[in-house]
Amino acid sequence: MTKNIHELRDPIHAFVRLTTDERKVLDSKPFQRLRHIHQLALTYLVYPGATHRRFEHSLGVMELAGRVYDIVTRRENLEYLPREAFSLLSDLSDNMKLEYWRRVLRMAALCHDLGHLPFSHAAERRLLPEGRTHENLTALLVRSPEMASIWSDMKINSEDVVKLALGPKDLPTVSFSALETILSEIVVGDAFGVDRIDYLLRDSLHLGVAYGRFDHFRLIDTLRILPSPPQSEQDEADSDDEIELALGVEEGGMQSAEALLLARYFMFSQVYFHPIRRIYDIHLSDFLTAWWGKNGYPFTTQEHLSLTDSEVMVMMRKAQNDPGAAGHEDARRILERMHFKLIYSRNPADTALNPEAGDQVYVTLRREFGAESFRHDRYTQKAGLPNFPVLLRDDSTTSSLAISETLQRLPVVSVDSVYADPGVRDKAKRWLDKNRGSILQPATEERHDESAI
Amino acid sequence: MNRLSKAAIITNLVKSLRENGSWAGETHIQKSIYLLQEVLGRDLGLDFILYKHGPFSFDLRDELTALRADGLLDLEPQEIPYGPRLSPTTRADQLQKRFPKTIGEHSDAIKEIGHRLGHRGVSALERLATAVYVSQKNPGVTREARIQALTEIKPHIRPELASKAVVEAEEWLSTHREK
Repeated sequence: MTKNIHELRDPIHAFVRLTTDERKVLDSKPFQRLRHIHQLALTYLVYPGATHRRFEHSLGVMELAGRVYDIVTRRENLEYLPREAFSLLSDLSDNMKLEYWRRVLRMAALCHDLGHLPFSHAAERRLLPEGRTHENLTALLVRSPEMASIWSDMKINSEDVVKLALGPKDLPTVSFSALETILSEIVVGDAFGVDRIDYLLRDSLHLGVAYGRFDHFRLIDTLRILPSPPQSEQDEADSDDEIELALGVEEGGMQSAEALLLARYFMFSQVYFHPIRRIYDIHLSDFLTAWWGKNGYPFTTQEHLSLTDSEVMVMMRKAQNDPGAAGHEDARRILERMHFKLIYSRNPADTALNPEAGDQVYVTLRREFGAESFRHDRYTQKAGLPNFPVLLRDDSTTSSLAISETLQRLPVVSVDSVYADPGVRDKAKRWLDKNRGSILQPATEERHDESAI
Repeated sequence: MNRLSKAAIITNLVKSLRENGSWAGETHIQKSIYLLQEVLGRDLGLDFILYKHGPFSFDLRDELTALRADGLLDLEPQEIPYGPRLSPTTRADQLQKRFPKTIGEHSDAIKEIGHRLGHRGVSALERLATAVYVSQKNPGVTREARIQALTEIKPHIRPELASKAVVEAEEWLSTHREK
């Protein structure tokens, strides 16, 4: 008998299961390319275990998306919703549509990273044309002729896959129904997106960093589609208030939700924002920008499919050995591990004086020692408040921030670092220590305008 | 506009909202800044899309997080079941004082937003902001068509309230176009 369910072993989820139709997506060229895209770019130069790829992460995201869908659409788990909410989710009462959206959701989860450039996020902002992101490339690939026949066999509308894989943020001109909004939250949502759940668990395992672990089994079991609680007394009294649905959690799952958000905080501060990891990203971005020149990354599906980390490594090795090649210096810095060294990093006292203290240090050092010897890295974790609905034991809902002291105190991770060429680093550091008082001044209109120039 | 000038304007606007009785939760701030940008023409470089409760900017969401990271906004948790309020810190007051030109240039607009919107809840702000969004996206169409567009986007809004919001949006926009 022909097998219709295919199993793949996975270190996080034990088994990932696919149907024969779903396997055609796995076998497609756009998906197979992900075998050659490192999940965490050059992080393996800092954490040697970080050699895992987008391929297995995407499989994990698909597996989790199916599990979450089965939990949140279970009839008894929708009973808490007010009657008006059911009209927003009417597709879930129709078995055919219920099954359709499950297929679409799993495929959106599987395909959500197809557009990643070589080495994932490292150089995306500088290499892609203004206003374009890897999500645009994901959409192009999902809509490509190769994938069209697969979607047709699966009776799936490719536009639905694009919607759930990208979500409203990356499709600003597309309108989303309440159900589509919730389903895209399952994949890429800020609080409980399975993309995040999988990458925290997987990165943690491969890097040997225990901070990223949390009880995801309990968390998923307690996820629910819930009405957003009133934001204020005034809003509670307003009878015209719209029912906004969001992915939330039962009160009993609150600790696992807190653990997820704490895991995210620790992984960002310990791994994703690790200073050496960040400087390798900067060197890589400088190398790729120099290598591809002013044309930037080739923004066509065919060229994109032909470029992976392997091709970039070959380019980098060529540039390393050729002093006249574009990006030669940065190729050497990466491959010979001669990266720039940290000379300044954000701290509470300096931030209190000037939130852009790193920029003052960077501008001053460049003036004193030359522009080419320094790099500046400024980035704050992208996210909203950890504010999601919680279903209380009396069946009412509340804001998570009204009941969790842990979430109220959850810090935001932010980096503001300056790196120096090892050749000038010690001299520049001594100079910086001596002149720190005069360099770091409160931000003023004039000074800020000047540094922006 | 550079980042700290933008920070001075946003924190000053949150202060103005609170002085005028606003809860100043994230949604109140989102809609108020949308209206500051779209009606009063103060370009903060933020892109808004139609999302939960009307126009919403993911860039602004991230900026509010960055302002918390920099100690310029504080989170004030509230009692069950309400969402948190945001409040400008002493550090934000100091920043605003060091950006007198920026604050001076926008203070009338910020005061207008505070007076006009400070007493409103999320539903009222959603109606007005979505009515402005509909008007901006459909220039030249009749008032009736805009009311219909608003109720199509937000079916929970009662027709009389949709009509009131569209009229207010129309009047407010035309006042500022004349200026």
